[in-house]
Amino acid sequence: MNMSRRFGQAFLLLMVFMVLFPLLWTLLNAFKQNVDILTRAPKFIFTPVLDNMIFVLSRQSVLQALVNSLIICLVSVVVGVVLGLPAAYAIARYPNRITDELQFFVLSLRFLPPVAVAIPLMVIWLNLGLYDTRLAMIVTYSLLTISITIWLSVPGFQQVPKEIEEAARVDGCGVYAVFFRIALPVAARTLLGAVAFSFVLIWNEFLIALMLTTSDARTLPIVASEMSQLGMDVPWGILNAAVILLSIPPLLLLGLLSSFMNSVFSRKKK
Amino acid sequence: MAGIICKHINKKYGELEVVEDFSLEVADQEFIVFLGPSGCGKSTILRMLAGLEDITGGDLLIGGQRMNDAEPGDRGIAMVFQNYALYPHMTIRENIAFGLRRQKTPESEIDQRVGAVTKTLGLKPYLGRKPTALSGGQQQRVAIARAMIKTPDVFLFDEPLSNLDAKLRAHMRVEIARLHKELRTTSVYVTHDQMEAMTLADRIVLLNAGRIEQIGTPEEIYSAPRTLFVAGFIGTPAMNFLTLRPRRTETGWQLCGDSFQLAISGSAFDLHEGQQVIMGLRPSRLRPVDAGFSGPSVQGEVSLTEFHGDSVLASFSLDGVDLGSLMPAEERPREGANLTFGFAEEDIHLFDAGSGISLRC
Repeated sequence: MNMSRRFGQAFLLLMVFMVLFPLLWTLLNAFKQNVDILTRAPKFIFTPVLDNMIFVLSRQSVLQALVNSLIICLVSVVVGVVLGLPAAYAIARYPNRITDELQFFVLSLRFLPPVAVAIPLMVIWLNLGLYDTRLAMIVTYSLLTISITIWLSVPGFQQVPKEIEEAARVDGCGVYAVFFRIALPVAARTLLGAVAFSFVLIWNEFLIALMLTTSDARTLPIVASEMSQLGMDVPWGILNAAVILLSIPPLLLLGLLSSFMNSVFSRKKK
Repeated sequence: MAGIICKHINKKYGELEVVEDFSLEVADQEFIVFLGPSGCGKSTILRMLAGLEDITGGDLLIGGQRMNDAEPGDRGIAMVFQNYALYPHMTIRENIAFGLRRQKTPESEIDQRVGAVTKTLGLKPYLGRKPTALSGGQQQRVAIARAMIKTPDVFLFDEPLSNLDAKLRAHMRVEIARLHKELRTTSVYVTHDQMEAMTLADRIVLLNAGRIEQIGTPEEIYSAPRTLFVAGFIGTPAMNFLTLRPRRTETGWQLCGDSFQLAISGSAFDLHEGQQVIMGLRPSRLRPVDAGFSGPSVQGEVSLTEFHGDSVLASFSLDGVDLGSLMPAEERPREGANLTFGFAEEDIHLFDAGSGISLRC
């Protein structure tokens, strides 16, 4: 093994450490008492306690927020898929001036600072009497998921060779059959990435949720952040436990997706 | 099985006319090849037959029915694409059976037909694999199987062999010819390879810039090209061309170059005094001759010889134009040798220099 290779590996290890260590530290702190956290020398060996986890999970607000987050995220991701994928397909397959403009418009929505979107939306939902409801959050988030899904799926559909779709038309497929039987499965890899990305983005969304919810429709990030305001002392252990719990659903989703993606990517060789 | 009739079909992209006034009748069971340089509109015409491209004007009849606006799946056609266009997410078996499944064919019949087709094409061992696990030749065979299994009225081939290497191409060409002999399905085959066209076609449609240059059997196209373009396009090595002026003599006609004259009877051609003509002559018909040769001949110094295996192509210059003479390899001349090259009058082709149309009457 030569020097540059060794150096490269050492560099990669360092990067991995930089990314993973804070996460590991958070995980450890979630099982520490405050006295173990607030020491001068960091403690790696301690008696683990479940108090923080129990505290977080036993709070009604956390469970409700978890349910809220799951419902709001899943529904808006599904809406994004149902409306965004066909739109992306149309943009990729039938490009014209309008679709070019549309694609840029969709992206430009993402340029806007979230506050600029959140305040008008707050007024709208208040006037409609839907403020602080799951429905309002779902509709708001669907705007995001649709635009992300469109933006990330267009290249996926563009990569599907045109001849394959033409072969399907000769084989007797109409436009819808071509979309569902050919374009969707062939582009599935890229599309899955787009869907996973939009889920993670919505799951972690904080600013819009902060402005559009007060109690009933609060999502997990909001509730987790509120834990830092519990008392005079910052409850580090509880905060860490909340972060860990918050990270579990996206990790599970990515885990499922990655194993699925692996199976799609790997070619069967005999 | 069905014939195809194209009546004054044209195709415009906006103002740009890529195919103008294409008329053709393809008989049932006939193997037609569209031949031409890239960009001549041959693929566009094929895609209009398939329904993948709208027809701007004219009528298309397949099996006697007007098909201008029919969906590709309803035209009774099957198509083989240049890059195979197999469905990458399906196994070979699913690829081949896809069309039948769309037609709601019973599963037992699908099994039986897939079995028959894969046996013909030697694809049995690969049925469970994905297309990416197959070589180019095997993939193209799958594409042909996918087309065959539908027992279509018409086969459309869009440059099916262009992506294969030379050896495999020759092999698949023979296979396609053999399949056509067995199935006798009307076929339209697009290629830019004249070898494929010559060997496969019952009739060749030679296209240039969206127009038909000539329709005919391979023999007709080769031995009696209707235009200068056809003459130049068909045949390897390419035909020799000389620009000449005809002059009437007592015994017939004299074709005059700057430094030589060729005496011919001219009876087979429509010649006029003062006209400019282009004479075409295949290299294989221009041979070194002895001094006693009585027919038309030219003198030249061999500047280059190319060894082709059985034969040798000797090049020489005449009036600033390079000419080639193809001769058996054992007669290979020395480079720099001064030779007399002769030919027979019936081997020459004369074209009007302005219009490029053959002057043969």
